[in-house]
Amino acid sequence: MNALERHRKLTTIWASEKGFKGWFSTVNHTDLGRMFLVTAFFFFIIGGLLAMLIRVQLATPHSAFAGPEIYNQIFTMHGTIMMFLFAIPTFEGLAIYLLPKILGTRDLAFPRLTAYGYWCYAFGGSMMLVAMVFGIAPNGGWFMYPPLSSAIYSPGINTDFWLIGITFVEISAIAAAVEITVSILKYRAPGMSLDKMPIFAWYALITALMILTGFPPLILGSVLLEVERAFGFPFFQADLGGDSLLWQHLFWLFGHPEVYIIFLPAAGVISTILPVMCRTTLLGYGWIVAAALALAFLSFGLWVHHMFTTGIPHMGLAFFSAASTLVAVPTGVQIFAWIGTMWKGRPELRLPMLHLLGFFFTFVIGGLTGVMVAVVPFDWQAHDTAFITAHLHYVLFGGFVFPIFAGIYYWLPHVTGRRRFFRLGELAFALVFIGFHVTFLAMHWVGLLGQRRRIPTYAPEDGWTAINLISSVGSFVLAIGIGMILIDVILHVLTASRGRRNPWGAGTLEWAMPTPPLAYNFASLPHITSRDPLVDEPDLAVQLARGEGYLGTPRNTWRETLTVDIASGKPDMHVIYPSNTRLPILMSAVTGVFFVSLLLKFYWTVPVAVIGVALLVWRWVWGLGRGADLAPLSIGHGITLPNAGMTDRSPGWWGSVFLLTANATFFGSLLFGFAFLWTVAPGWPPPVWFDPSMTELGAGLSGAIIGPIAMRLAKSVNGKGRNSVTGATMALFGAILIGVACAAMMWRTPSPVDHAYGATLFVLGSYGLFHACLAMLMTSFLIARIVRGFTSAVRRAEFSIIGLWVDYTSVIGVLVLLAAHLPGVLQ
Amino acid sequence: MKDIFRILIAPLVWFASFSAVYGLHGLLCGHEVSGVVLGLPLERAYLVAAYVCAIAVQVVLIVALYSSRLASPSPFVRFVSHATGWVGLIATIWSLVPVVFTTYCG
Amino acid sequence: MLAGAGLIFALVMVLLLLAFRPRADVGDAGDVRVWVIGLGLAFPMAVLAALLAYGLVIGEKLLPLASDDVVRVGAQGRLSTWSFTYADVPNRRTQDVLHIPAARPVDVSITTADVIHSFWVPRLAGKLDAIPGRTNILRIEADLPGTYHGVSAEFSGTGYDHFTFTVIAHDAEDWDAFLNEDIE
Repeated sequence: MNALERHRKLTTIWASEKGFKGWFSTVNHTDLGRMFLVTAFFFFIIGGLLAMLIRVQLATPHSAFAGPEIYNQIFTMHGTIMMFLFAIPTFEGLAIYLLPKILGTRDLAFPRLTAYGYWCYAFGGSMMLVAMVFGIAPNGGWFMYPPLSSAIYSPGINTDFWLIGITFVEISAIAAAVEITVSILKYRAPGMSLDKMPIFAWYALITALMILTGFPPLILGSVLLEVERAFGFPFFQADLGGDSLLWQHLFWLFGHPEVYIIFLPAAGVISTILPVMCRTTLLGYGWIVAAALALAFLSFGLWVHHMFTTGIPHMGLAFFSAASTLVAVPTGVQIFAWIGTMWKGRPELRLPMLHLLGFFFTFVIGGLTGVMVAVVPFDWQAHDTAFITAHLHYVLFGGFVFPIFAGIYYWLPHVTGRRRFFRLGELAFALVFIGFHVTFLAMHWVGLLGQRRRIPTYAPEDGWTAINLISSVGSFVLAIGIGMILIDVILHVLTASRGRRNPWGAGTLEWAMPTPPLAYNFASLPHITSRDPLVDEPDLAVQLARGEGYLGTPRNTWRETLTVDIASGKPDMHVIYPSNTRLPILMSAVTGVFFVSLLLKFYWTVPVAVIGVALLVWRWVWGLGRGADLAPLSIGHGITLPNAGMTDRSPGWWGSVFLLTANATFFGSLLFGFAFLWTVAPGWPPPVWFDPSMTELGAGLSGAIIGPIAMRLAKSVNGKGRNSVTGATMALFGAILIGVACAAMMWRTPSPVDHAYGATLFVLGSYGLFHACLAMLMTSFLIARIVRGFTSAVRRAEFSIIGLWVDYTSVIGVLVLLAAHLPGVLQ
Repeated sequence: MKDIFRILIAPLVWFASFSAVYGLHGLLCGHEVSGVVLGLPLERAYLVAAYVCAIAVQVVLIVALYSSRLASPSPFVRFVSHATGWVGLIATIWSLVPVVFTTYCG
Repeated sequence: MLAGAGLIFALVMVLLLLAFRPRADVGDAGDVRVWVIGLGLAFPMAVLAALLAYGLVIGEKLLPLASDDVVRVGAQGRLSTWSFTYADVPNRRTQDVLHIPAARPVDVSITTADVIHSFWVPRLAGKLDAIPGRTNILRIEADLPGTYHGVSAEFSGTGYDHFTFTVIAHDAEDWDAFLNEDIE
């Protein structure tokens, strides 16, 4: 088979549907990555326009441009859009587009999940836009502190849009994070051991792990606040045993890691582009990986520095002040490693490099003001002033937007296969750079003069008029610059000026393919022996197109790829991907019905949507099954691999591990909230305690013991080739017992509207019940599989996956029941 | 997976001990505790003891990550796990040092 | 702190510019020990340790420690007004104007009747929040008699921009007069 025949055959297997129809059924990472990025930049423009409105409002004293009701919506939506609908999705889009290419494989781990995540993002984002168009957008500031955001002080639907819309969008963040983690750990080219992984993949891996552990506290907070608003459970009401500080802890437990979730991907872009722009390799690869890891961890120990003025004792503040200063060290390591890289090579002032210089200049200032506000006494003055607004824009614009612009200009030739014809970019950069610094240097200054953030107007006597006007003028220069970048990019896409392959002379694998990229990425997969494969083997692309790598011969109509051992990069499984389907968009639409029903308080459609999602999930997973065993398959070069469905550690198992990591963080945050309210909140102990029952506790505990044992039994019986339906049925019975015990607990809990104690128990119980139902669904699925002959001693992957979920359900079931029953038993 | 664990364990333990000491401090300030141990007020004694334990655990981890029996076969993973091991130790010493001298409640 | 930050910023920028100087020995300058261990680890840790110690010491000094001549007042935030009470004159309550003696430490007990507010008189002290269900105590001290501008510094919905108050610091004589209810 020659290269052209191979290309034709692979294209028929991998191509998305033609035309706009293809958007709705595609599961291809290149398509979805582009869709993510375009949507994210659409929201960037909207967020930017809102920023312009803010600057118009503040340009003059006593401004009557927008009344306070509208102005509060504008700045809340500006922050919300930029954080949740621009920054995080941009990372997701970039990672989804780039990772399989840079790792030398054909797609991400779970193609349909990529599509599901995109549609959740698109639908959730649209909800926020609808709110804005109708003038009922959230208006409590992007961190939504209760009690201001509670039903008493914000009775309208505005806050609900935030809580429900953002939670909807976060499904896409969690989905993408699971996907990215599994893809980086398992879906790499053979031979790519951890130390040969491109640095961008390390950054993306760390970011994805941070999303898995950073987002759940916010999702929990949003759920609790929405439940308080809708049903009156007093989690954040001090007079009923709640505490508004619990929200602040949950929010910032997310909110601070969020800053690094935004910065780290950008740092990955810098670490990838900078050496190419300097014709050299990255200085201190191992150090940078360690520094990024350190940064990720330390960022989880900083959240209270957003709460320095809430009256926490000085020693508590001191811990977080210390941790906040320490986080500057790994940042410093990275900055100096990058400058060292520049010293090592010969930096060239090409367009991406200009934006990288913009990054250095801006981010270093942002970092230094960050160290200032980490010092408690300084923060007591600066907190909630324009100084903080200016600081965070230096960090986020410097640490994210400049590197992303560099990335856009660097990878645009890859996306389009064209080269830049008009030279608008340099002028645009100058305008962005000057405009940005004028705007935000002025804002630092006016903040130090005492201007609070979020005020709609000020008086001429305050003496801030001239500075604010300068800041507003700067912001318009910035906006013109960004507009020019947009025009530059559009012209680049439209002008038919063919570029050459690998225009920057990069060493990473994404350039070892024709541009624009093909649906299947690589006609055959490379064997990796170094960190810069294209430097060692400049015509690698041609060799791969000739089918000299792995999986070079298309088989059936399978979308094939392979996975590797995490540490060594040795191939270990053969994978067949699902093909184009409308299931993801359908399922996210039904998920949307669930959220919209909650928003509009149409509670009768909620169970309909839940059942709909459950049915679709069933169909989704059912399609992966095989009626007959598959013998180990050759991938070329004399290697044969078992198919993923015939292993114990299939991609689904890995995905479950990381989804359960996020889930466990959610549950951990819930337990933290319970302990926090119990020990710290005013208004405790509650008027009545839960009345313990040995029968219910015993039923739940025995269910938790039966389930895991039964699953292990089923797995072992199946391994011997015998019928395992008894074990699976026993596991189902175990899940039912846990569910009954949790339901009884919810039924008998002290009134959840009277005190936060009852409210928390109720939520704990529903968490347990939900997982018990999930375990019932999964074990029923397994029984159906066994009965229909979809399992065998070889086809065993589903036993491990469902076993994992049954184990998890048992652990949390026990903890939930003990949390409710134990205090009463001990008394 | 073992290699990932080697890389993550020390900072994870730092986060756990950091949160635990912060929680302990909150508990001590929320509930009246009084007494004197070794010339130190009881609150301070508890906190310093927790601080010393946290450091000791990190030292044990570093020793384990350097020991030939538990270290990774890959030189790269060894390097990164040693680095994150030191991150755990330094972060523990640095971020919890306030227990020694700042006012604990107030 | 600003000067130090300026110096560090200048250092980074100079290093960045020097990377562009034409040179022959490309490839030799990339020394991990200098860049990562020296500039990346040792340098920030030394600077930050000093800064942290300084910040914690100042923080300790600002704490409301026990003192003989402390004056106690209460401040309660309520959308969008502050009301003040005085431990020395139990029945006295003022709206949006807080009276304090000059040159004496004053402990303000900060509470809220509704949402979260923040009590901030920039020239007298840092800010401290008013959290539902809690009482936070802020130590302020005015060196000289006079009028000081105060604001509520936590976003509280519409009307937030006009949510301000005034602190009047009296000399000893006027303070006595205030206590005797001669000043409204």
